[in-house]
Amino acid sequence: MITGIDVILVAILLSVLLSLASSRMMALVKIMALQGAMVSIAPLLLDPQSRLGNEGILYFQLMLLIKAAIIPGLLYLAVTRVAIKREVEPIVGYHASLAVGLGLILLSATITRRLGIALSGDSSLLLITAITTLGGGLFLMMSRTKAITQVIGYLMLENGIYLVGTALTKHAHNLYLVEFGVLLDLLVGVMIMGIILHNINRAFDDVDTAYLGQLKD
Amino acid sequence: MLESIFILPLFTGLLALFLPVRLGRVVLVAVALLHLQLTVLSWLHTPAPHLPGYFGNGPAGFLVLLVTSFIFVCIAPYSVFYMREQEMQSEPIFLGCMLLFLGTMSMAALADHPIVLWIAIEATTLVSAPLIFINRSKKALEATWKYVLICSVGIALALLGFFFITLSQGQDGGEAKLTFTALNAAARQLDPLWLRTGFIFVLIGFGTKMGLAPMHTWLPDAHSEAPSPASALLSGALLNCAFLGIYKVHTLMVLAGLGDFSGSLLIGFGLLSILVAGIFILNQPDYKRMLAYSSIENMGVIAFGIGVGGLGLYGAMLHLIHHSLLKSSLFLSAGNLVLGFGSKLVAQCGGMVRLLPRTFCSFFGGFVGISGLPPFGVFVSELLILTGAFQTGHPVAAGLFIASLVLVVAGFARIVTAMSFGPSREELLVREETMRILPPWTLLLTSVLLCVWMPEPLYRTIVDTIALIGGTIHG
Repeated sequence: MITGIDVILVAILLSVLLSLASSRMMALVKIMALQGAMVSIAPLLLDPQSRLGNEGILYFQLMLLIKAAIIPGLLYLAVTRVAIKREVEPIVGYHASLAVGLGLILLSATITRRLGIALSGDSSLLLITAITTLGGGLFLMMSRTKAITQVIGYLMLENGIYLVGTALTKHAHNLYLVEFGVLLDLLVGVMIMGIILHNINRAFDDVDTAYLGQLKD
Repeated sequence: MLESIFILPLFTGLLALFLPVRLGRVVLVAVALLHLQLTVLSWLHTPAPHLPGYFGNGPAGFLVLLVTSFIFVCIAPYSVFYMREQEMQSEPIFLGCMLLFLGTMSMAALADHPIVLWIAIEATTLVSAPLIFINRSKKALEATWKYVLICSVGIALALLGFFFITLSQGQDGGEAKLTFTALNAAARQLDPLWLRTGFIFVLIGFGTKMGLAPMHTWLPDAHSEAPSPASALLSGALLNCAFLGIYKVHTLMVLAGLGDFSGSLLIGFGLLSILVAGIFILNQPDYKRMLAYSSIENMGVIAFGIGVGGLGLYGAMLHLIHHSLLKSSLFLSAGNLVLGFGSKLVAQCGGMVRLLPRTFCSFFGGFVGISGLPPFGVFVSELLILTGAFQTGHPVAAGLFIASLVLVVAGFARIVTAMSFGPSREELLVREETMRILPPWTLLLTSVLLCVWMPEPLYRTIVDTIALIGGTIHG
């Protein structure tokens, strides 16, 4: 039987693959907005009963606002205002990245099967999606040259962590643990503000971390 | 009372961002003194926290807090006199962020809830980033960007690690309290699989912040680009706070009967850090980067000491104290050198012994101390760690440890000799000044003093800290 949560999770998986293959900055930002929206909706569909408390609804709206509106909005501002070239400029090519993404899905499935004993049955697809998103984010950070793509990679990593948290701790909601993941968005916000607010653009001709390579041994 | 230790600097730090510079300087020094008093008072009387689910007065936290607070008292007046020599447009930001930095580090030291600890460590990243960027140069920007990005990834992984540790309480363990104290008490009932996974993620996450190789890449850049008082604080205090996070989880692992697993991981990362630092120090053209690599080496020594256990635990705690004292002293001396010679390159600063005799005394003294020679405390602590390593049956690791240390000392000695006795420059940009000499000297003297006479309460705190995981002074 296909349920709502499955659809969302598959869409998140596809968004990871799409982001690895996309060559345009603007497309990448749009994908991240979509992914943010779906990631914040996922816990609601997963566990409809336990989430209906007042705090739960407030928190859910906050998540949606931050992940689907504020952060992508800031990214959009950064791409348009800071005159970033519209291409992504990968170190690893798009097709190779896509292959890595597919490999990541396989790897996550293996890890999930290993951990499966300790988990209740219905969350295995969630865990596969979560680990893939996490790994995809890390890969994106390492395989793209621009500072802003690194931030996008970090955002994806963070989405993955949020999903892992939801997958694993959904039976212990009274602990308020996953919710603190929202503080990571603060870091993302600070990084994007760093790019937008004069600094990186003024110090370099381009927001390209290849320029950030002067300090080394 | 207990919470006021971190609320005071956080509040005054926010205030100092908007105060005029002169008043801000006064506030910085005053808060530093007040913070030390509060810390010592609560250390001696151990008041109960107002929020017992989130903060605690454990001995490990107080050890880190004491070191932080003492170093800050020495750094605060130094930075006032350092800033007077520098043209800086944004000094209120510097003063405010120093205080906020102190506040977040104190919060990390007092945290008992894993998530509170995590939040405090994340906050240290946020408030110390402006300190590194304060010079607004191209290189400072690069260092800050690396610092924020790499540490953010580390912090994210540490959060994941804490998820796993929570999960070890069981899938329906929602009723259990989530504090380190409660976890320690129920350590045997925790699920070992999730604990192991959690420890690995916390070690990698906080290890990034602590500067363990191979996650150390941000550290030399950040420490060399930040102004010297901030570098001293980063190296002498921040690294300890990150270490505290790892140490608390390691304690949990030992109590859960998984001490061998976490211990060998710590030994591995520790040795790798010492080795990497030794290799990079050998031909280092920049003396602040050399000091930064030395911090990586010393963090490796601490991780190694904790990993081997037994007598090594006492050695590691002693090493933490003495490394903080000596390294912040060295960074403050390096600040005088930067002011005097206007350069961070070894090649540009010959003849320190003639031009800056008093700074030479503190810099050379710091070098002797950090290399593990008597009469400074690092000699004792490294000896104890070595003894511990042999006693607990790690002879190969101990051999590697000695070899790597020799590498570090060799590199360090070459640089210090060149700077002290090399061909001297004609003149200085800024002369040395008593108020910028006294703090590094005080830190050095404290290290010597603690080596010959250890106050009873401090000794008790160290012993209490390590007693939880079976460390004793008698091996």
